[in-house]
Amino acid sequence: MNRISQKKGGTRMLLQANEAIARGALEAGVIFAAGYPGNPSSEIIETLAKASRDLPIYVEWSVNEKVALEAATGASFAGCRAICSMKQNGVNVVSDFLTNLSLSGTKGGLVLVSCDDPGGISSTNEEDARAFAPLSDIPLLEPSSPQEALDMARWAFDLSETINNIVMIRSVSRLSHSRSDVQVKDLPDFDVQPYFDTKVSFHTFPIVAKHQARHEKLRMAEELFENSPFNFYRGPSRPELLVIGSGCAVDYAIDAIEIMSLWERVGVLKLGTTWPLPRKLLLENLQKSESILFVEDVDPFIETNVKALAAEAARQVGVKTFHGRGSGDFPLCGELGPSHLLEFFGNYFDLDWKDQEFRNKMGSLTKGKIPPREFGFCPGCPHRGSFYAIKTALAWDDRDGFVSGDIGCYTMGIWPTGFNQVKSVHAMGSGSGIACGYGKLEGFGFDQPVITVCGDSTFFHATIPALVNARFNNADILLVVLDNSATAMTGFQPHPGTGKTAMGQPTQPVDIAALCESMGLEVHVGDPYEMKETARRLYDLMQKQGPRVMVLRRKCALVQGREGGFPYDMHVDQSLCVGEECGCGRYCTRIFRCPGLIWDKEKKKAMIDQVICVGCGICAEICPQGAIKKEAKG
Amino acid sequence: MEQTTVQGQSNLVREVLEKGICVRCGACVGICPYFQYHDGKVVVSDWCQTSTWRCVQVCPRLPYDRASLYDYFYHVNDCTDAIGPHRQVVAARSGDKLVRSAAQYGGVVTALVIFAMEEGLVNSAVLTDRGGDLAPKGVLCSDREAVLGCAGSRYSASAALSELNLAIQAGNDRLAFIGLPCQMEALGRLSLSEPDGQERAGHVELKIGLFCTWALDYRALRSYLKTKGIVEIPKKYDIPPPPSEVFIVETNNGRMEFPLSEVREIVQPGCSVCEDMTAEFADISVGTLEGDKQWNTVIVRTDKGMELFEKALRAGVLEQKEIPSSNLEHLKEAASNKRKRALRARGEESNE
Ligand SMILES: Cc1cc2nc3c(=O)[nH]c(=O)nc-3n(C[C@H](O)[C@H](O)[C@H](O)COP(=O)(O)OP(=O)(O)OC[C@H]3O[C@@H](n4cnc5c(N)ncnc54)[C@H](O)[C@@H]3O)c2cc1C
Ligand code: SF4
Ligand code: SF4
Repeated sequence: MNRISQKKGGTRMLLQANEAIARGALEAGVIFAAGYPGNPSSEIIETLAKASRDLPIYVEWSVNEKVALEAATGASFAGCRAICSMKQNGVNVVSDFLTNLSLSGTKGGLVLVSCDDPGGISSTNEEDARAFAPLSDIPLLEPSSPQEALDMARWAFDLSETINNIVMIRSVSRLSHSRSDVQVKDLPDFDVQPYFDTKVSFHTFPIVAKHQARHEKLRMAEELFENSPFNFYRGPSRPELLVIGSGCAVDYAIDAIEIMSLWERVGVLKLGTTWPLPRKLLLENLQKSESILFVEDVDPFIETNVKALAAEAARQVGVKTFHGRGSGDFPLCGELGPSHLLEFFGNYFDLDWKDQEFRNKMGSLTKGKIPPREFGFCPGCPHRGSFYAIKTALAWDDRDGFVSGDIGCYTMGIWPTGFNQVKSVHAMGSGSGIACGYGKLEGFGFDQPVITVCGDSTFFHATIPALVNARFNNADILLVVLDNSATAMTGFQPHPGTGKTAMGQPTQPVDIAALCESMGLEVHVGDPYEMKETARRLYDLMQKQGPRVMVLRRKCALVQGREGGFPYDMHVDQSLCVGEECGCGRYCTRIFRCPGLIWDKEKKKAMIDQVICVGCGICAEICPQGAIKKEAKG
Repeated sequence: MEQTTVQGQSNLVREVLEKGICVRCGACVGICPYFQYHDGKVVVSDWCQTSTWRCVQVCPRLPYDRASLYDYFYHVNDCTDAIGPHRQVVAARSGDKLVRSAAQYGGVVTALVIFAMEEGLVNSAVLTDRGGDLAPKGVLCSDREAVLGCAGSRYSASAALSELNLAIQAGNDRLAFIGLPCQMEALGRLSLSEPDGQERAGHVELKIGLFCTWALDYRALRSYLKTKGIVEIPKKYDIPPPPSEVFIVETNNGRMEFPLSEVREIVQPGCSVCEDMTAEFADISVGTLEGDKQWNTVIVRTDKGMELFEKALRAGVLEQKEIPSSNLEHLKEAASNKRKRALRARGEESNE
């Protein structure tokens, strides 16, 4: 049995915050969970999916975030507790539904978890999804530790049912992926009987009255927040500097105070309920100091709102000096780290902060020990073959063609690993949508060919409407579906094309090629490993008009590695390799760039890194001297 | 290596490809991975960083010293004859009716290639195929059927030298190459190039050149034909000598004629700076015989060419007759005009 499903509470478990959120939801009696994978949120649904083997709960990876929240809402309307998780971009996808749902209200406790990625470590953007709480008038909770993540998740369902509205929890990468010792409680019996009460209905009419009711719900939440244990003050009664913050940032502040022994001079008001802000609590604490420092990720969310509050209550709390991202003391973007806090306190209190020294030491200790690696596709990755074919076809065509990109591992097509072919990346499905635009410019003299790419998971998520649009408006688009049979970027979650659900049950797979054909599109299927042949076919397709699709199908190298591996033993015949000479110019290591190919500095020849090379064999095709040899594995 | 005036790939790209004067000879393709020929066009696929550059040493569209080629092949410093150094000019045709019916004109080229193979002078030959959905391209042929399959003229360049480069790289020896004047220039430049040009060129035993006034841009030709309702691959093209001023295209649906003035619009711009009409650096050059489509004008230039030509006559593979002097005059005039136009276009004074 999975430890997350352990019935009995009262013990401690080492949990990642995302697992703690899942456990908290289970302790609250959640029976329905839905989400769309996306770093750093994916483990929440994954954890619940594992728990579904032991507990009577339902868990799904939905086709996209909006559908995920809609499905979870169905469960809520039928009186069940439901959770829905996603990364920050997902909240954008959800927002249209969310701003309407918060008007209609909910029934069974419904919680939306957004895991934001400050610094965009594994995202296409940096975004503070907290903005959606005020936008849709819903309560917002921000944990700063795995324990709090669990406790907040459990309580959020009570809150949701008290005010009959959806509640948002916001985590960040550092928290979602950090582990600590967490106290767990008992799991309930999960004996709910879903029932939709036809005497009630959920809609947004009359709109203004519902809007007013929504504000009333927020007011109720604020009252509860005033006494919430998730908000607390620590420090002297009249600190020289009052820190107000949330999430990991406030923990960093506490660490810095600790390290610099500043507890007699600095106080911390840690907020766990950040929308609506607990006004009374804030006014009370604002009076403690004339200098206020805000610490939070990413935007000055608390900062801006507290400043407004302080302005309103200036007579009561007095004039303040504010510090924070909004006041220019910290950068307005990027993740707030411990060093920002150390540096700030050091300068503010004129103390020697040692961080730079520490960094120098770190630098000298690690120097030369970490092999340089660029952002790149894995050895054996089918995307390398796909982009090589695309690059070749676009070069042959010679009309300054380019790739309209999308979100997935293949976003790396913007870098040398994808031969810099991808020229734009935005939201899920946008590559094809944008291509619809290019595809209607011919009449104005636009003749650059455009290939748009999307992964199989992205195809289902948001590409289909763009493709229907292309068919409808007869746009000249050539979509290449990079079908690697996995939501690879986020950790191989199943999707509609894989024939398996989040709970591991077999399901009828949706056939991308057949679906496209049914829309009346010209569809071809190819193999990314057959680079020349694929390039030829892409070139031919580029000469045609109207909406066209080429599905390039090959399993993700990591999946293939687990399921039987690769067929070849590779080596470079160095007597044939001409290396830097004319006739090659280090084509394999400089242009093709599979990390399995390395440069033998001494001999000035290429060689195979036998540890990295998986044996897919495709580089044998690209060596102009035929020096890269493949032999069937013995 | 000291870098002097010779620069690398970027120079070739800037001076030739970007200026649009590449004539798709294919000399730079196949010797390295950075240039590729596909569907009638030579393109750069990646940037090269080497310090030894074969590409710039072979390209016939980069300025080079033509006198060095005269010197290398004919041991003369210059050539004042408009049709280049030669041993003789005659009219000839294949003795084989079958060859003649497949060929563009008298079938001398096809007949000679097959004969050279059968005689063991060459093992195989690089010719230009008929093209299909894509533009014509070079093809390595090693038997009679394959050579016959290539007979006839495609009026667009096929970069067949790329196929020759690959054939040499793959270890083929005793090769024949059949191509346009620019391709003979490129092959000539190859012989003089570093580090191994002489050795590479040494694998080419026989060079048969075609007369050429210009070649068309294939992709433009395809679009042009499409506007005229021709989408299938033409069986035969022809440009009868002046004053007819027409471009003839034969398809399965019959024969169509188009005004040459329209077709000139899609001539490769690089042809306007080409000064060679008769493939001066071939062993034997072959063109039409004005006024008699069953015959070719043949210029035999080298000893090797002479030997093969005479052997072919003796074997009855070729028939010859004297070339009317008016034809020869016309030919020289046309060749001289082409040279003048090219020198003018290049901004160099005509020295005649
Ligand atoms: C682009 C072009 C322009 C020409 N312009 C003239 C001209 O202005 N005046 C003139 O007298 N003759 C010209 N010719 C030559 C003429 O068309 C005949 O090729 C030549 O007379 C040989 O005739 P044949 O009967 O011996 O040919 P065949 O026996 O039919 O042999 C023709 C050979 O030419 C090769 N070939 C076909 N197309 C190409 C190509 N695009 N590039 C390289 N090789 C090719 C084939 O592989 C074949 O081996 C031109 C040819 C071409 C290809
Ligand atoms: S591509 Fe081939 S010739 Fe070039 S460096 Fe690699 S192994 Fe050597
Ligand atoms: S003319 Fe020949 S050598 Fe020059 S760029 Fe074109 S194909 Fe290459």
